[in-house]
Amino acid sequence: MAAEWTKLWSVRSTWWTLLAAVLTMAATSAQLAIYARNANTDDDPANNPGVVGVGEIVAGSLELTQYVVLALGLFAITSEFTTGTIRTTLRCTPSRGRVLAAKAVVVGAVTFGLGLLLGTVGAVTARPVLGEWGRAPLGGTVADVVAAAAYLALIGVLALGLAAALRGAVLALTVLFALLMIVPLSLQEPDITVLTRIADAFPGVAGNHFLAGDTEPYPAAAGLLVLAAWTAAALALGRWALARRDA
Amino acid sequence: MITIRALTKRFGDVTAVDDLTVEIRPGQVTGFLGPNGAGKSTTMRMVLGLDRPTAGQSLVNGRDYRTLRHPLHEVGALLDATGVHPARSGVAHLRAMARSNGVPARRVTEVLDLVGLDARAAGKPGRALSLGMGQRLGIAGALLGDPPVLLLDEPVNGLDPDGVRWIRGFTRRLADEGRTVLVSSHLMSEMQQTADRVVVMGRGRLVADAPLAELIAARPAASVRIRGPEPAALAALGDRLAAEGATVTTDGGGMSVAGSTAGRVGDLAHEMGVRLHELAPVAPSLEEAFLELTADSVEYAAGATGGGTR
Ligand SMILES: Nc1ncnc2c1ncn2[C@@H]1O[C@H](COP(=O)(O)OP(=O)(O)O)[C@@H](O)[C@H]1O
Ligand SMILES: [Mg+2]
Repeated sequence: MAAEWTKLWSVRSTWWTLLAAVLTMAATSAQLAIYARNANTDDDPANNPGVVGVGEIVAGSLELTQYVVLALGLFAITSEFTTGTIRTTLRCTPSRGRVLAAKAVVVGAVTFGLGLLLGTVGAVTARPVLGEWGRAPLGGTVADVVAAAAYLALIGVLALGLAAALRGAVLALTVLFALLMIVPLSLQEPDITVLTRIADAFPGVAGNHFLAGDTEPYPAAAGLLVLAAWTAAALALGRWALARRDA
Repeated sequence: MITIRALTKRFGDVTAVDDLTVEIRPGQVTGFLGPNGAGKSTTMRMVLGLDRPTAGQSLVNGRDYRTLRHPLHEVGALLDATGVHPARSGVAHLRAMARSNGVPARRVTEVLDLVGLDARAAGKPGRALSLGMGQRLGIAGALLGDPPVLLLDEPVNGLDPDGVRWIRGFTRRLADEGRTVLVSSHLMSEMQQTADRVVVMGRGRLVADAPLAELIAARPAASVRIRGPEPAALAALGDRLAAEGATVTTDGGGMSVAGSTAGRVGDLAHEMGVRLHELAPVAPSLEEAFLELTADSVEYAAGATGGGTR
């Protein structure tokens, strides 16, 4: 695990990814905050959505920012495949389960920490832009930021497991994109209850229910569990593939 | 000790390793020989748990590599690909390896010293390492856990003559310390000065497994070259030798006598009063012995070297 930690931070691209995530977060939440303000300039005040919590802005910004964070999980293993360092790694730690577990802990911890940072950046950026249309109760905002961090950690580890199974970053990213956005969006599109319910079982949608604190179709905590189950499944798949394939 | 039992690996239609059974013993340098594509690297990768055997088994010190928790203390290896991240420095690479196996950080400095890499070279990112530096870094990595078993895949590839000499002395020393040392090469001549024993592969199969000296001695082609100023006398000498059962071939101005000894040829020449200008025993080179052994198993023509390396 310590080795994974050393490996992660001894490559400069890790730092660039972090910087990119922070910038994306700041830009997106500023933009969303501006939208929220603009939405409140309707002539008829009844149409205004009203005061927005910064937590909502943070959650909304993750839609885009999560892909930068996903990259951390993806590259934690695909970079090993492309550079051949996976052979060194597996020689040092032949147990595929332990390798993946160590990576999962490191990726999870880093993305969680990053999530806290990003949530804070998002909230701090959004608050002044929102002005009178914003609200940032301390307790609620902190809870939202922690939830965002948990969401990102699970998504990051999900990406790791999937990338271990699929090997290529591009393929894994495509599958993730489909899982998080394309498939659930197309299921929700026709507005047929059955399809929407199926979409609710997808990791991205479940994560959003969790972030939004929804009570429908299932409690927010269940959303977290659904997402966690996807993550666990992805890790199991990744482990199986690592054990079966030649390195 | 490395135990390989009925090990087989197929990649699609290609049988890279074919029912290989061999034991690599401690305290000696074992040369692992075979032309490119013979299956040496694949065998080593299977021993290290990287490739999954199609059939059979390989054990290091009686255990399956994949069950080892801190394998760097058991087996050190240098593979043909360095396995260093292009953007990661050599030191960071070794540090990560050390940490994964509970090796103290100071050991990193020690092994860098051992292989003669200075701080500047070790601080370079993987992509900036020359082939020679990469090999040294790889060997440093192999030594991290001070393991009793070492596998070196083509370690002299890309090394300058100094480096080659260094590897020879180094593998010798490791074996003298009682370790199991397996060194692969596609060139027999590289092994002539280092190996105690050779395991030869051809097309995935075991071709020979014997002490080096025995392999050379087993060659019947040991011969004696003679030359002299009097062709007729020389021919008479040749006839006498042939009558004794030696195989005599004439070649421009001289003869080559197989199946006899320099002593016998000299005595006979003296007895018959034949003047000689040259009387030289010719030992068959290991390279010839090797070529003969693998003659029917060479996968690639000589011009296509590298075609089968990985
Ligand atoms: N990953 C692989 N996929 C397909 N064929 C392979 C692979 N690795 C090795 N081979 C083939 O297996 C044979 C043995 O290769 P290798 O073990 O590298 O030989 P050597 O190290 O003796 O040169 C060669 O024919 C090579 O092309
Ligand atoms: Mg090879």
